[in-house]
Amino acid sequence: MQKLGCVAELDGVREELAVERQAARKVVTVCGGTGCRAPGCMPVVEAARRQLERQGLTDSTRLRVTGCHGFCEQGPIVVVDPGGLFYRHVDPEDVGEIIAVSVARDGAVERLLYVDPVEGKVRPTESDIPFYVAQDRVLLDQNRVVDPCAIEDYIAIGGYTALVKVLTGMTPESVIEEVKASGLRGRGGGGFPTGRKWELCRAAHGTERFVICNADEGDPGAFMDQGILEGNPHSVLEGMLIGAYAIGARRGYVYVRHEYPLAVHHAHVAVAEAQEAGLLGDNILGTGFSFDVRIARGAGAFICGESTALMASLEGGVGEPRPKDVHTVEEGLWRRPSNLNNVETWANVPRIVNNGAAWFAAKGTEGSKGTKVFSLTGQVKNTGLIEVAMGTSLRTIVYDIGGGGVNGHRIKAVQTGGPSGGCLPVECFDLPVDFDTLAEAGSMVGSGGMVVMDERTCMVDVAQYFLRFLQDESCGKCVPCRLGIARMLEVVTDIAEGRGTEEDLALLEDVAETVAETSLCALGKTAPNPVLSTLRYFRSEYGTHIREKRCPAGVCRALVRYEIDAEKCTGCGVCLRACPHEAIAGERKQAHVISAGVCVKCGICRDECKFDAVAIL
Amino acid sequence: MPDIVKLTIDGRTVYAPKEASVLEAALDSGICIPTLCHVPGLTPNGVCRLCIVELVEGKREKITTSCTLGVKEGMVIRANSPKVMRLRRNIAELLVAEAPNSKAIQDIAVRLGLRKVRYRFHEAECVQCGRCVRVCGEHWRSHALGFVGRGDQRKVMHPFGARPKSCRGEEACVDICPMTITPCIGPMGPGQGRLCGVCEAQTLIADRFPGTCVSCTLGRSFRCANHVWLGSKVELAKAVSRVASKVSAEEVAG
Amino acid sequence: MSVEQPTLPGGKGAKASCDSRPRLTAERRNTHQRTMPMDAVLQILERREPAPHQLIEVLLDIQDECGHIPQAAMILVAEHLKLPLIEVFRVASFYKAFALTPRGRHIITVCVGTACHVRGSPRMLDEVLGFLGLEPGQTTEDGLFTVECVNCLGCCALGPVIVLDGEYHDHMTPAKLRKLIQSVREAEKEVLTHAEAGVRC
Repeated sequence: MQKLGCVAELDGVREELAVERQAARKVVTVCGGTGCRAPGCMPVVEAARRQLERQGLTDSTRLRVTGCHGFCEQGPIVVVDPGGLFYRHVDPEDVGEIIAVSVARDGAVERLLYVDPVEGKVRPTESDIPFYVAQDRVLLDQNRVVDPCAIEDYIAIGGYTALVKVLTGMTPESVIEEVKASGLRGRGGGGFPTGRKWELCRAAHGTERFVICNADEGDPGAFMDQGILEGNPHSVLEGMLIGAYAIGARRGYVYVRHEYPLAVHHAHVAVAEAQEAGLLGDNILGTGFSFDVRIARGAGAFICGESTALMASLEGGVGEPRPKDVHTVEEGLWRRPSNLNNVETWANVPRIVNNGAAWFAAKGTEGSKGTKVFSLTGQVKNTGLIEVAMGTSLRTIVYDIGGGGVNGHRIKAVQTGGPSGGCLPVECFDLPVDFDTLAEAGSMVGSGGMVVMDERTCMVDVAQYFLRFLQDESCGKCVPCRLGIARMLEVVTDIAEGRGTEEDLALLEDVAETVAETSLCALGKTAPNPVLSTLRYFRSEYGTHIREKRCPAGVCRALVRYEIDAEKCTGCGVCLRACPHEAIAGERKQAHVISAGVCVKCGICRDECKFDAVAIL
Repeated sequence: MPDIVKLTIDGRTVYAPKEASVLEAALDSGICIPTLCHVPGLTPNGVCRLCIVELVEGKREKITTSCTLGVKEGMVIRANSPKVMRLRRNIAELLVAEAPNSKAIQDIAVRLGLRKVRYRFHEAECVQCGRCVRVCGEHWRSHALGFVGRGDQRKVMHPFGARPKSCRGEEACVDICPMTITPCIGPMGPGQGRLCGVCEAQTLIADRFPGTCVSCTLGRSFRCANHVWLGSKVELAKAVSRVASKVSAEEVAG
Repeated sequence: MSVEQPTLPGGKGAKASCDSRPRLTAERRNTHQRTMPMDAVLQILERREPAPHQLIEVLLDIQDECGHIPQAAMILVAEHLKLPLIEVFRVASFYKAFALTPRGRHIITVCVGTACHVRGSPRMLDEVLGFLGLEPGQTTEDGLFTVECVNCLGCCALGPVIVLDGEYHDHMTPAKLRKLIQSVREAEKEVLTHAEAGVRC
């Protein structure tokens, strides 16, 4: 794209694109998000390219590869417009047929369309599919129509109009007022009112300031920011541009975790394209406003999602948090005023500017406005990236969107907020998802990760899992976090291995309070949440582990025994071959036996057995 | 007086230079706040969290470390409230369970009223207070030592485990380490870790007068206004009987 | 490898038509044997500003290039960026992305994030322990495999996820993992046999 010297030129490009794109009779969209790459979407793209050529349709059809469409369970996904025919589980071999039937003609390939498992009906488009219908995809809808590596796509759908509106008609103060009025709260987990943060940063002493995009997304099970940054990086850049104008910053950083190579790549491409077009750099669109962005990579540290640790990392050091007696909006990156916001927070800004604060505030609850993107994963049917208005209930999310449990298993809890959050039991599923409600219930919205857990999950094991994670990821600097988490883990491990006592629960609650109150940073302060929430709602499970030395879910390895039921065993030998620890012995066609001394209770044999002959006792 | 700031700590009016931290202001005025990682003259770290205080802001209190909190005019601090004491005691419990073989840590534990340790004792030889790293880096500028690794793998090391040429052999790191002096009842080997708490003088003062100085070993490494330098156990016992007799008289009178 | 093109996640080849066996290039085979030429490190340093804040990007580039961060590289980096050596060592040891010892020719990364955990990722580690004798972070004696854990790859909907040499594998089971490891072994044997027979790869 050539450099745009003024607003009129940008408008001109947009008009040209609109005309150009009308020429395409059909548009074929393939989801190219990381979640679809694993099941092989890129060969599908190649196949589409080849088939369009072979069938002589290249000129009349636009083929685009976009970011995540959200219904990850169904990937690879191909959508044909107009009409929005939604094809799923597409193999490269299927593409020829799709092109011939839906692109050359106007038909549909029934066997590749989505079938709603509840009623057994075919749902041909997104607007028919229950997973999508129950959502409000304000941000994620753009993922469907934008090739993240083509700035033209973003411009064509109205991208950068918000920036123009701000640069040509709003003062920085009025931008801040608009964001304040919208009620937007930080989407990374802190939930701090965004407009207020911008205001504080603008007012801080100093001439140089920075805006930072936190794309570290360390919460395991959360990939919302990946979906947005990978799929629509320009929306984030536009948000940062607007924020920089409002705050008075000339430089910005996007800190992306290196475990997201595609997001890193797309961020680089987007920045390069924006620079080329003159939308980043000096004298943007001739307005006199200058702002540029650099991409920095994380190197594998969950703690770098914490704002002071992130800034320490940007400065080239270890991700050790700093005291927040003076906030980062006053002294942040290189001790300059710095405004750090999450990817999703930035992505919401252009919409708020274009549609107005009232539009944003019309959705959601009193304390939590707008929509929120969540990643719904775990033991639920429909896993993927979803977006709903704040205030939607957990029940709607887990059952209407998520489709409920898998293989008839009973859902037990949903874990929200990552390692800083907690587990909420089914009894709490009517709670509206909003910052304050979930916090009161002992969990938090966090960055948006939602892991569904069914009866096969042990809550003591979950507490142990999170404590191990936090121990591994703790920077280790302060005593309560480093030693407190280690001791909580020691106690929970004792309980999981049958050495727990009644006093252990009181000890856990006592040290949890100390860790929460006295740790230096949010990692330590929220570290006790998984333990505390499981104690609050699943205390009886802890009790069973302590008093009966039994794990009801059959997970805690020290408390269960695996045994082969001789009546059911056919002697096929599958388990013997599958066991990685060589704990099973037996002759062909004769009942096999598990050697208790060797067996580590990993459960692989039980998974492999086709006769349900392995029991957990 | 533009360079002096007035604040309130535990109900007492305290004056401090405007660059001082709340911890420095308190120690200077004879209000004892326990510390482990604090070294006068080096940048405060806020690592051990023993010096936590309550910063009162309107109706709310915030728990924060006094070594990293700069004084401000009109600040209201609660340095020895029951909540703070309870939190400090739990932190001391974590420290003593981790590294019982240190007189400084045992002193702190007793001073904070710790009587029972609810964890298994570990035999750590380092509590990662960071004093050695800071004195080597900031004071001697040798940068021969540093923290390496993360989480439970974190430790203090020379680069690649070998003493570099930049080390001048000053041994400031050894002098300043809280692990260098073993408990009075003798060094604790593996499996011998326990809470000291045997010193009657210390437990008496800690129980009867929470917040009073027990002449901790670490306190000797920096000037502490309230701290009459007590060079030996004899001196300590004399001080205790002075305090104890004063109280008896008051109790009798009351 | 320039910073503009980081390793992109590859997908599995199509089920029937593509050969989905792991490709063993001669280059990858040799990486294990060759020592890291310091020229490569110097080139990486020259591409970057000689300023302390470049430390992580420089180390990431060295890690990408060489598979681990050799001590000599850290010494060079400390000199070039004007940092104390302990600081370089500190950063290299703090972040999970950096390996301080050479790794195997094939890296098996097991995702142990929450979503993969509830779907059974611990069993992947059991499989790896039993089949290869490795705990996470270790390398087989023949230098063939290293197993590492990662806390989340962002493919949570497809868990359990394993990455083998940059290729993502979804909905994994211990049995599939065993087959995958076996296929790598077969491919390695083939290469060796060809080499011995004088056939160029």
